[in-house]
Amino acid sequence: MKFAIALFAPPHAPSSRRALRFAEAVLAGGHQIVRLFFYQDAVHIASSLPVSAQDELDLPAAWRSFVTEHNLDGVVCIAAALRRGVLNGEEAQRYARASHNLEAPWELSGLGQLHEAAQDADRLICFGGD
Amino acid sequence: MATLHLLSRSPFTDTSGASCLRLLGPGDGLLLTGDAVHALQPESQPFEVLRALPADRPLFALAEDLDARGLSTPDFVKAVDYAGFVELTLRFERTNSWL
Repeated sequence: MKFAIALFAPPHAPSSRRALRFAEAVLAGGHQIVRLFFYQDAVHIASSLPVSAQDELDLPAAWRSFVTEHNLDGVVCIAAALRRGVLNGEEAQRYARASHNLEAPWELSGLGQLHEAAQDADRLICFGGD
Repeated sequence: MATLHLLSRSPFTDTSGASCLRLLGPGDGLLLTGDAVHALQPESQPFEVLRALPADRPLFALAEDLDARGLSTPDFVKAVDYAGFVELTLRFERTNSWL
């Protein structure tokens, strides 16, 4: 079965960790993830700047490894990202910002990608809250 | 169409659980995750409300969240791991997350 997974909460929210564990279980169960969509405060998960305490799970790094290892489509909502200061090199140049904090495997794109994923997938599962 | 409702907020600080119960129809399921498992605090008001639900509205809770809070699984709830969570999202035709 094909899953689309959307995240809405920041990296330190328990639901963002739950989403990762769920996504791992989806693949472990032999299913497919057609797209991951990071919306609202979840765009911070894709930033390369958050630093986790040494004795805590580095969730942004864990997500990055997961997406890279399984070659998944990790889409970050561009409007939500820009307003929160999450920019790739192209956007930093466009808006004349001195630095950027979004690298591969993440991709900035529009909300239409969430709609398309919801159409393509058999199930859309959203994670947010506590 | 049967819907799996996904709750993550504590019923003692948030009203999403109460709103969800008003929409929960025959055949719909409810999965408690995160702080929403506090609804299973024995003798609490949310606990009694969930216990009184008809049997055609199956109740589930994420095992790790119960364990993390030292809560036991009541007989009217089925605890699931992440593989069970995935299986639930397939058993029900759609999942509605209460963000």
